[in-house]
Amino acid sequence: MKELWKLKYSDIKKGLNSGEFTPTDLIQSLISRIEAEDSKIKAFLSWEKESIVKAAAESTERRKSGKPLSEFDGIPIGVKDNICIENTITSCASKILENYRSPFHATAIEKLLAKGFVLIPRANMDEFAMGSSTENSAYQVTKNPFDTARIPGGSSGGSAAAVAASFVPVALGSDTGGSVRQPASLCGIFGLKPTYGTVSRYGLVAYASSLDQIGPLSKDIDGIIDVYSVISGKDQRDATSKNIPAFDPSKVKELPWKGLKIGKMKITSEIEPDVAKAYESLLAELESKGAQLVDLDFSLLSNSIPIYYIIATAECSSNLSRFDGIRFGQRKDPSGKLEDLYVTSRSEGFGKEVQRRILLGTFSLSAGYYDAYYGRAQKARVLIKKEYEGYFSKVDLILQPTSPTTAFKVGEKTSDPIQMYKADILTTSVNLAGVPAMSVPIGKDSNGLPIGLQITAPALHEDKIFGFAKMISDWASKVELPETIK
Amino acid sequence: MNLNEESLQKIAELSRLKIDPKDIQNFLTDFNKVLNYVDTITELNVSSVSDEDLYPNEGNSLRADKAKEGLSRSQIESFAPSFQNGYFVVPKVIET
Repeated sequence: MKELWKLKYSDIKKGLNSGEFTPTDLIQSLISRIEAEDSKIKAFLSWEKESIVKAAAESTERRKSGKPLSEFDGIPIGVKDNICIENTITSCASKILENYRSPFHATAIEKLLAKGFVLIPRANMDEFAMGSSTENSAYQVTKNPFDTARIPGGSSGGSAAAVAASFVPVALGSDTGGSVRQPASLCGIFGLKPTYGTVSRYGLVAYASSLDQIGPLSKDIDGIIDVYSVISGKDQRDATSKNIPAFDPSKVKELPWKGLKIGKMKITSEIEPDVAKAYESLLAELESKGAQLVDLDFSLLSNSIPIYYIIATAECSSNLSRFDGIRFGQRKDPSGKLEDLYVTSRSEGFGKEVQRRILLGTFSLSAGYYDAYYGRAQKARVLIKKEYEGYFSKVDLILQPTSPTTAFKVGEKTSDPIQMYKADILTTSVNLAGVPAMSVPIGKDSNGLPIGLQITAPALHEDKIFGFAKMISDWASKVELPETIK
Repeated sequence: MNLNEESLQKIAELSRLKIDPKDIQNFLTDFNKVLNYVDTITELNVSSVSDEDLYPNEGNSLRADKAKEGLSRSQIESFAPSFQNGYFVVPKVIET
């Protein structure tokens, strides 16, 4: 049997629809790949092989009888461990939800199942989506398939590594401040943070509700477009979901190079030289094709990490207050007193980074500090939104590197929270403004590690991002995913 | 600004968290590092932002007031740490 695991998303879709191979052939190839290599990567937290094989067999039957649920029937998709799948453990990589089996499907999952996608849970992540390296998981550290001494990025590091290691062609992650784009960049794949409110958050365990958004990660642009078109659209069960239909893939058109206005950033000392070089040579190429480059002043956006951390942690201290040992998850009851039950369940259940963020959030929401921190951060967020509106009155798209560095080594930044937070310096403002952005691979550094480009568009203009990503697909195809994991 | 140990303990109490005494110094150092980092926003001029900007009137997102089936009692029981006769069990809270 051909090594089907090597195929990109678009070739998998083509092969299934032409009958070249069946969903069962495909899943068996992917399972062999996972069983041979995941001990080095640790992308998945648990492995319910029987149910995956069964889902693929059912899809094979549907295709044999000429009744596939859709053109996607049988395509495997990895799922981050904070997206609820009925009767499957959804632990958010936390001890506090160690044995929690969700009683319902997230809306995104329901939509994927209705089209016949085969779910591959549970991709590892930073606990409750808090982190930039997947080192904060309570269970295991995921490694970068390009170099297993390095991190895959976070918090959707398990999803990104699973795609980059060719365990799955496409996966779901969630992005609060860059948690889809940054790991996509560090793992040499595509990752989309959609416009806020276009994908239902129902069934996504909330970190920071006004920032979180489910987004796809894929080996190629077609996987991003297809999955986004399936999971987007209004959901009555999520009051923050926008009243718009699902994304229509026929809207994706290549843009005319001539006259295309592209906003670019000035390279600062935070950007590694190899990253800057790849970015600037891409810009030069675009200019030679007729695109017009416009310098943008990102000085306000340089404050986005502090604004982000105040808003995100305030929301997390509120959202995570539901984990008290009473209704779900883990309970620790040392003394038989209610107050001790709350405190011990939470203190033993949450990891250090989660506790640090809860404390910061409680602090910024507390009576004496609310105006100086949380109230002020909300106002500053309005300025960020207006800043983006100003940019998009001058340019069609904004291009930046996704991450200032390529993948760093395991343990390199764990002792310094600020250094870790800075990994998201170029991505957080996008979530504050609610606009869409995608990371596309554009090259490698001198160590052979991938470099990503972040493409940002005005709200609800994912079509422009996709059209542009197709236009630079020659660049993206230079970053080949590793076949051998070392 | 810098927080002292007493204030950190107060915030931990509000958060229903207990910081292990052996970790308190590390926690305090890290917390203050983060606090000093986010402190830069106190220098931002946000005076141009009005209340209308802050709370735009986008309308409510309401559903029809119709009863719908929720989770069954057995589903709730399956994920609750302690559940008896239709109730979540908690330690005794009323002294007799």
